Amino acid sequence: MLFVGLFTVGIAALLAVILWIVTDAQRAALTHDNDEDIDSIIVGYRQEGIDEAGEVVRQLLGEPRRAGVRPTTYLQIKDAAGADLVGNLPDLERRLGEFSVRVDEKGRAVPSGGAAAGGALVLGKGVVFGQRYYVFVGRDTAQLTAARDRIVDAFLWILFGAVVVACVGGTLLAQRLTRRVDLISRTCEGIVEGRFDARIPLQGRGHEWDRLSLAINEMLGRISALLANLQQVSSDVAHDLRTPLTRMRNRLEEAKARSVTTAEYSSAVSRAIEDTDQLLAMFSALLRISQVESGTRLAGFATVEITELLRKAYELYRPVAEDNGQKLVASLQDGLTVSGDAELLLQMFSNLIENAICHTPRGSLIRIDLGSRKDFITATIADDGPGIPAAEIDKVTRRFYRLSRSRSEPGHGLGLALVAATSQLHGARLGLGDAKPGLRVEIAFERHAER
Amino acid sequence: MRLLLIEDDAELAASLVEQFRDHGYTVTRAADGSLGLELALAEDFRALIVDRMLPGMDGLALVKTLRSSKATPVIYLTTMSGIDDRVQGLEAGGDDYLVKPFAFAELLARVRALTRRSETSTKLAVGAIELDLIHRTVTREGLAIDLVPQEFKLLEYLAQNANRAVTRKMLLEKVWDIHFEPNTNVVESHVSRLRARLNEGFARDAIETVRGVGYKLVAPN
Repeated sequence: MLFVGLFTVGIAALLAVILWIVTDAQRAALTHDNDEDIDSIIVGYRQEGIDEAGEVVRQLLGEPRRAGVRPTTYLQIKDAAGADLVGNLPDLERRLGEFSVRVDEKGRAVPSGGAAAGGALVLGKGVVFGQRYYVFVGRDTAQLTAARDRIVDAFLWILFGAVVVACVGGTLLAQRLTRRVDLISRTCEGIVEGRFDARIPLQGRGHEWDRLSLAINEMLGRISALLANLQQVSSDVAHDLRTPLTRMRNRLEEAKARSVTTAEYSSAVSRAIEDTDQLLAMFSALLRISQVESGTRLAGFATVEITELLRKAYELYRPVAEDNGQKLVASLQDGLTVSGDAELLLQMFSNLIENAICHTPRGSLIRIDLGSRKDFITATIADDGPGIPAAEIDKVTRRFYRLSRSRSEPGHGLGLALVAATSQLHGARLGLGDAKPGLRVEIAFERHAER
Repeated sequence: MRLLLIEDDAELAASLVEQFRDHGYTVTRAADGSLGLELALAEDFRALIVDRMLPGMDGLALVKTLRSSKATPVIYLTTMSGIDDRVQGLEAGGDDYLVKPFAFAELLARVRALTRRSETSTKLAVGAIELDLIHRTVTREGLAIDLVPQEFKLLEYLAQNANRAVTRKMLLEKVWDIHFEPNTNVVESHVSRLRARLNEGFARDAIETVRGVGYKLVAPN
């Protein structure tokens, strides 16, 4: 409402200024006409004397008017004694300069200070010329006031229209605003009530409201992804840690019931410790994955010499593969770097190499390749083992997913989940494919700008 | 040997005090950070074992304050296992970092490594095995033994801690700078290669395997 008020006052002020300019111009035009008439009367007098001046007056007044019709122009010449010589405004005082005079209904000048009902207000000028003759030329201001009234009328209508438009527009705008705000707050309330998939509908016209809604929706998307992640982790922990815990409990129970000698007890305790270690390893892997997925590590990204990192991994695992009857070979392009977290990257590649070592038979060949194409740096770990069945290849990066054939082998099914999380954190594309035979894991990093 | 344990978990602290005593250490325990700092500044301990999350004053602030006046070796015990947590701990002036839960043998081995007398010399000798730290060469009974750089690094760390068991985890951290638990026998494979090179032509095994703990480079008396 405040804005409507300010708007109205603003328009009114503008109109008042326009009105003032217009009336002033009209008044100036009227005065100019009066002056011209006076000039022509005086010119007439100078050329041929007072009679000619009178003739000019008569010509200017034109045909004698019918009674009852008020003239618009008033002219009057008086002599030095003040007697009216010629003109249509008798009884006028001899006043000089510009002044207004009231004219009554009978066409007579009302003395100054006198009251007059009806009649006209004449604006004119009194001038003395020649042998102390006096001439007054005036014009009825009625036309002036009429014009002003018309303008004021028009302006009032404009003002009224503007106020109406302002009120209606303002109300509509406020309503739309309220609707949008309602929409947003309803969405937020929905989220508070637990409907995490609620999103603010967009108008689709690219308005600033849509931009805000989009930003809020993006935030909501990120939050629900994190939440889903958290829920996933909790349910993973609840379901998948139950199995090893149950196993451990059963073993301990059995040991308590059956063990007799210290040696038997000792071996049961050792196995229980092994089970706990496995559980703890699962916990660390889970923690690491959620740490990676939370994206907080991004802050510590630096230039990582990936060639050196893979060489280190190669040197670390070559003896392990050898002891396992496998062959680990590496072909690494020199001097490549990526932007990332060295510790996480080393763990990721170690996971992949260890997977290959653990899940391929003796005599297998495991290859580490690092190369670059135009926009990508690609690291590949490939083996010629049994590979992953095509039906399961999309599922292996899920937490706790284990291939049906390897459920009996040691492991917790978190290795590839960590690999997926780490490559995602690095903006790298993770591709699992068939090496024909074997598994081929490719990680393609976007090449970062050389510094 | 006197140790200061700053740990608020009474049960864990009692168990650690007892186990350290079994290995010939005298352990003073402080249950909160401010008392711990006071003790650490007032008395001379061979090493400090500091929990990161403590009442009174947290472990990180404690070590930072301590470092302005004392160089006593510090090992953190903590449940905070993030990469940043470890880096922060070491940057504050800690010397080692052990994540809970841990095996006592792991803590013991690390405390022993921390309390060893650090001599800055160019040569290391463990029995008949001699390491030239400048030229990175090794001899056993005067015979040159050919080692690749990684193997030398591994032997160097074992030699620095001669006659003390070092754990697999310590080797991974100190020799390879690896801070995750591998699923394969990485350390075993490398140690067995080093062992084969060291023992070639000698009857006595220079590297002793300590069951359930790790390895020990031994000098015969």
